[in-house]
Amino acid sequence: MKVIAVHVDRCTGCKTCELFCATERGSEGKTLLKAVQETPLPQARVRVEGGDGVSVPLQCRHCLDAPCLDACLTGALARDEETGMVWVKDDRCIGCWTCVMFCPYGVIYPWAERKMALKCDRCMHMESSACVDVCPTRALEIVEINQLGEVFAEKRRSAASVAAAVAGKGGAVVLDLAK
Amino acid sequence: MNEANFDLVVVGGGAAGFNAALSCRARYPEKRVVLVDQEPEVGYYRTLLPMFMAGKLPEEKLFFWRPGEGMGLEVRTNVKVRSLDRQAKRLTLESGETLGYQCLILAPGGRPVVPPVFERSVTPDGVFPVRSLGVAREIKAWLLAHRDIVVLGGGLVGSKTSVFLRLAGFSVTLVEREAHILPTVLSANTARPLQRHLENMGVRVCTGTTIDRFKADAAGAVKAVRLATGEWVPCGTFLVGIGSTPDVGFIRETDLMRDGELVVSTTLQTVDPAIFAIGDAVAIQTPDGARAHPWTWPQAVAQGKLAGTNAFSASPRPLKRTTRVNAQNISGVPLMILGGPGVGSSIEARPGPGEGVWREFFLDDSRIVGGALVGDIAGAGPLHFTMANAEDVSQRVAGLLAPRTRAFRPSTWTRLGQSYRARNFAVKESTPC
Ligand SMILES: Cc1cc2nc3c(=O)[nH]c(=O)nc-3n(C[C@H](O)[C@H](O)[C@H](O)COP(=O)(O)OP(=O)(O)OC[C@H]3O[C@@H](n4cnc5c(N)ncnc54)[C@H](O)[C@@H]3O)c2cc1C
Repeated sequence: MKVIAVHVDRCTGCKTCELFCATERGSEGKTLLKAVQETPLPQARVRVEGGDGVSVPLQCRHCLDAPCLDACLTGALARDEETGMVWVKDDRCIGCWTCVMFCPYGVIYPWAERKMALKCDRCMHMESSACVDVCPTRALEIVEINQLGEVFAEKRRSAASVAAAVAGKGGAVVLDLAK
Repeated sequence: MNEANFDLVVVGGGAAGFNAALSCRARYPEKRVVLVDQEPEVGYYRTLLPMFMAGKLPEEKLFFWRPGEGMGLEVRTNVKVRSLDRQAKRLTLESGETLGYQCLILAPGGRPVVPPVFERSVTPDGVFPVRSLGVAREIKAWLLAHRDIVVLGGGLVGSKTSVFLRLAGFSVTLVEREAHILPTVLSANTARPLQRHLENMGVRVCTGTTIDRFKADAAGAVKAVRLATGEWVPCGTFLVGIGSTPDVGFIRETDLMRDGELVVSTTLQTVDPAIFAIGDAVAIQTPDGARAHPWTWPQAVAQGKLAGTNAFSASPRPLKRTTRVNAQNISGVPLMILGGPGVGSSIEARPGPGEGVWREFFLDDSRIVGGALVGDIAGAGPLHFTMANAEDVSQRVAGLLAPRTRAFRPSTWTRLGQSYRARNFAVKESTPC
């Protein structure tokens, strides 16, 4: 199963992921310029939360034993058999918000104007995920869940050099937009 | 006499029973499973009936299963169970036929409580309980010519029904015996903004009173009901939503009952380990000795899935949560109900900011035991699990009442027993921003 992983140490809290998620997945116009002029304002399925110097983009974790799936009162929430993603069938969602109450991570967002629960489905029907594509610091990455162990190992290997580099720049993070 | 034998018999094809039968089939494909229900149709969303009755939902969207979809499941409708013989491991149906079982899952749900005013008289036409699809269809048809509605019972079902009917343009009067609507789950403070909202929508809300008389026309249809205050309210339709009571008549004579209740352990087993019971029909004995009655749709589904897998397991697993929480969107006003106050629990509340917003918790020994969010449901999910995990919140009440973010401390995320925990990589201490 492919999931979106978050490198918390790379997130600068810029919210580019939110903007482009809302534009790509929530707007009619599909460009930022058109999206900001739409009513209701398009909403994102990923939200950057944080404070105290730490920011983190939060989105659905597609829990194996997902409480939201049991909670849905209308049959709007389902797991896609092929990708394993939990997604919302918009035409069946009535916006009762029961799933919101059953998400332990707080990552199902009520979109009141459209009476629709919003959640990340990893853009599973698209070639790639909007947020991952636009993240300027590559804080978001698509990984195969079984390979998370390897990613962690790689992370540990590079941790020392990253820390050294950050310290060397006086604490500022270098955004390498060309990469 | 006809006799058939099965590995598993499930009584009741509501959310609980249906999910039990399906999960057992998925886990033990070799087992012979039969599901029986007295209704002509099963596999539908009871929760959507108010919307359906109001004409706001096409009938096909009511169903999560249709005959023919099989899934290896034998489903028998229009079949009522009359009695249970535990020694012989056999159920007797109204038809006289018997069903033998290795394992039995009881999921008969609840049946609507009948208001005293109709107890000793012939119920006129136009009076309906809100519970089953069959009756909901009758209501939908009846409403076409009888648009003045009185709804008795300001609980969740009554309130929700009133809202959907009002939104569809019907004239609605909601009658609640207690001083405010949703009396068992909300305090006066959290109920007040909701009640005002209903009134602004055009629902007439009569609290602190009930119906003590009715009048029928020559054809035997209801035409008015009398409030205890003496006022007659004309109505062509009278809907009853004053709660449900476990539909356990067919096992009342067995020794499965405890103090009048069908009690199960957290593994959903009755005193007879071959008999499970789930959903709106049961009381769950929790490890601390209390009895929980989590009669909600999410609980019925979760219990059903668990009972289906526990049925033939050598080490049945316990239910993760027994919370009775509920969410509603009352025509634009979001409402989250965590539960009613316990005896002696303290209250922490935060009104506003803004009209109609109120967040309130009931605390017992620094643990959240109930409360409600009206108008502002930020952080509702993590809050629910903070309650379900019985976390000590003494240092966090202010933050929970007015959350800065929509998700709480990472510790909440990692204590949920999920197979895939927080997928974030660890924060490094030197993280600059
Ligand atoms: C109008 C309405 C709105 C609701 N809205 C919400 C909501 O918004 N949120 C929420 O959480 N919950 C809601 N609920 C409650 C929720 O629907 C129930 O908690 C849930 O359906 C319980 O499921 P169950 O399987 O235990 O029982 P049921 O769904 O009642 O199913 C029991 C089945 O067993 C059958 N049965 C009973 N006795 C026998 C017998 N002797 N022989 C054969 N069959 C039998 C019955 O006919 C029935 O089909 C609502 C309920 C109603 C009526």
